[in-house]
Amino acid sequence: MLIPFSLKNCFQLLCNRKVPAAGFKDTVKNGLILQSISNDVYQNLAVEDWIHDHMNLEGNPILFLWRNSPSVVIGRHQNPWQECNLNLMRKEGVKLARRRSGGGTVYHDMGNINLTFFTTKSKYDRMENLKLIVQALNTVQPQLDVQATKRFDLLLDGQFKISGTASKIGRTTAYHHCTLLCNTDGAFLSSLLNSPYQGIKSNATTSIPSLVKNLLEKDSTLTCEVLMSAVAAEYAAYHRIDGHIHLVDPEDETLFPGINSKAKDLQTWEWVYGKTPKFTVNTSFNVLDGQSCLEIKVHIDIKNGRIQICNIEVPEHWLPLEVCEKLNSCFIDSKFCPVETTMLTSILLRTCPQDHELYKKWYILCEKIKGIM
Amino acid sequence: MLSRSRCVSRAFSRSLSAFQKGNCPLGRRSLPGVSLCQGPEYPDSRKIVINNSSFFGVRFFRTTSVCKDDVITVKTPAFAESVTEGDVRWEKAVGDSVAEDEVVCEIETDKTSVQVPSPAHGVIEALLVPDGGKVEGGTPLFTLRKTGAAPAKAKPAEAPAAAAPKAEPVVSAVPPPSAAPIPTQMPPVPSPAQPPASKPVSAVKPTAARPVAEPGVGKGVRSEHREKMNRMRQRIAQRLKEAQNTCAMLTTFNEVDMSNIQEMRARHKDAFLKKHNLKLGFMSAFVKASAFALQEQPVVNAVIDDASKEVVYRDYIDISVAVATPRGLVVPVIRNVEAMNYADIERTISELGEKARKNELAIEDMDGGTFTISNGGVFGSLFGTPIINPPQSAILGMHGIFDRPVAVGGKVEVRPMMYVALTYDHRLIDGREAVTFLRKIKAAVEDPRVLLLDL
Repeated sequence: MLIPFSLKNCFQLLCNRKVPAAGFKDTVKNGLILQSISNDVYQNLAVEDWIHDHMNLEGNPILFLWRNSPSVVIGRHQNPWQECNLNLMRKEGVKLARRRSGGGTVYHDMGNINLTFFTTKSKYDRMENLKLIVQALNTVQPQLDVQATKRFDLLLDGQFKISGTASKIGRTTAYHHCTLLCNTDGAFLSSLLNSPYQGIKSNATTSIPSLVKNLLEKDSTLTCEVLMSAVAAEYAAYHRIDGHIHLVDPEDETLFPGINSKAKDLQTWEWVYGKTPKFTVNTSFNVLDGQSCLEIKVHIDIKNGRIQICNIEVPEHWLPLEVCEKLNSCFIDSKFCPVETTMLTSILLRTCPQDHELYKKWYILCEKIKGIM
Repeated sequence: MLSRSRCVSRAFSRSLSAFQKGNCPLGRRSLPGVSLCQGPEYPDSRKIVINNSSFFGVRFFRTTSVCKDDVITVKTPAFAESVTEGDVRWEKAVGDSVAEDEVVCEIETDKTSVQVPSPAHGVIEALLVPDGGKVEGGTPLFTLRKTGAAPAKAKPAEAPAAAAPKAEPVVSAVPPPSAAPIPTQMPPVPSPAQPPASKPVSAVKPTAARPVAEPGVGKGVRSEHREKMNRMRQRIAQRLKEAQNTCAMLTTFNEVDMSNIQEMRARHKDAFLKKHNLKLGFMSAFVKASAFALQEQPVVNAVIDDASKEVVYRDYIDISVAVATPRGLVVPVIRNVEAMNYADIERTISELGEKARKNELAIEDMDGGTFTISNGGVFGSLFGTPIINPPQSAILGMHGIFDRPVAVGGKVEVRPMMYVALTYDHRLIDGREAVTFLRKIKAAVEDPRVLLLDL
């Protein structure tokens, strides 16, 4: 559905943040409700960035509705290895994204609605937004027991979390976004957000696991479509603006100039993994040596997603010390990533002398190391 | 955040207000991406409308280092909504240059990320809280040494004309004699017309690489920038050098008439696609021809073990195919090619290609290999010497197919020709063997019946 011309105009006017504030004091009270036609988490996050960076929200709050195909979204300062099962995600094709707001890790799929409330810094009020959502839910289903907590979660029946919140405050604008669980795959969610990686020590923000429930399980009339219209209608009523939901295409450069490069930035390895705060991995794994089982200890320091210190302790009789040292030194500065490790290992193995035994052992070791990445 | 609000709300009013003549620009700050102009004598130089953009891009020249070096302490901003404490996450480090309004750190409070920008241009002197440390509103965060110079980082999104910000450092001392618009043409710098001594030339030095040549200046840039070699590249470099040092590498050439293969392909590609659901390419012809030649000349499939001074003859033929991916060169291996036909080879190549594209190549896909084929032809190479991929003894390089006039049966004909090169380890393989080997490949590609007839 194409954006009506009036919206494009509106956008361009509002984009003009560079015009002195004086020029905007007499603006008519506006507001917009936008809904993304894309289900790509990176594109949708890019829309948030774009609106945050380019739009003048004085007297012009914006509500943005979006849904994503299966993705795990971690907070700005989190550690993906701690928060989710990366191996499972790679196997199942679940995307990993790092948002720019703080907070914990969430799983998105098409049964989850994301709501972003854009306001100026002065009008930033998360509780007001959450109360608006509760009001909308109660309009659809008056019997529904939904409460906002002090931690800005929404609880159903006093115990099940149906919404989590995060936000970002910039220089003049701020946004508050939250999820709303309608019909998410709960079992999949639990398995994805359960990290199998051991021995990680870091001061990254950790998530607090909560018991969740889908609104659809409580009441079968509460579908995503119903809820999105309800929240939009409530928002329009509250801000006294036109309740029309404008569909936007996050790939449209004429509407959002420069947005595709924002989306690209969000997908780079340097952003998704590289922005993890410093952490160390202290773990061990076993390898078979004939009949016996050997324990191999691993200590790795990672900064900006890259290995700074690598100390793989191997019993001397299994692998000579100098070979071990060679392995340790070659990992330094490479990404803490299984794909990169594979490439590095294959190059290494080709420099290995023609000793079949040694070759095999090195190979096994590298495979095990990949398993912890 | 007094400094921030001051910057945002008064930036334009300040910029649009008249400049006092002869004023020291102390306290005059520029907007991100905009440098200050000293142009008191030329009031018209203040405002410029650039490229139909409907905002005022105010262009100034930063001209003086008279600003005293102040060290200011920046404190944690007050938190919204009765939150009391947060964690600091540093974006910049000690010694980094920052521009006014550039984000120095983020404070994470209870699911909210708040940015803390720098109140002025300067250099970060000290970080007063460790990364991840807790702070409350008002806690001192970092100290900034204010400098007069604008940091060299260009902000392309806000700089209107590419030439303008780069032209400025050079012309900084001299206010342009002509009126606005300034950025379009670099005026010649008249050296005698220096400004009065009280306003020395600014210390703006481009510290970042500026590869764009300024239009109208007529000279290229002369800076360089350094990038540390990553470990992978160091490893590859080391390995290649080792290969060169141990092997006695020589290359022998030949040319292949591709008309028969092209005709075979044209004739059978549809049937091939229908039966095998694969495209029939040229690689399979060369891979199969190489396998055939390797069986005839097993020494090319062998390798010298330097440690034990033995020649290792291998009974299987694993051909590595060099593939360029965005991550770099990968060399997946096709195992036991001697037992495969064209269809099997194409299938394996296609599967490996898919895996490479999706970054799913495992270590076992890439290790081993007794012989390598590298195809420079996809990039248009005519002729060249490939380098051996240890621990192997030879590598076949394929190049581009180009129409050339050649002598056929005493007459000149135009044929699609490909140069092929074989680099081999002369310690193990003699010249005669290498040439014979390459000729066998040529024969098998030019006429696949040779394979059937075992000629």
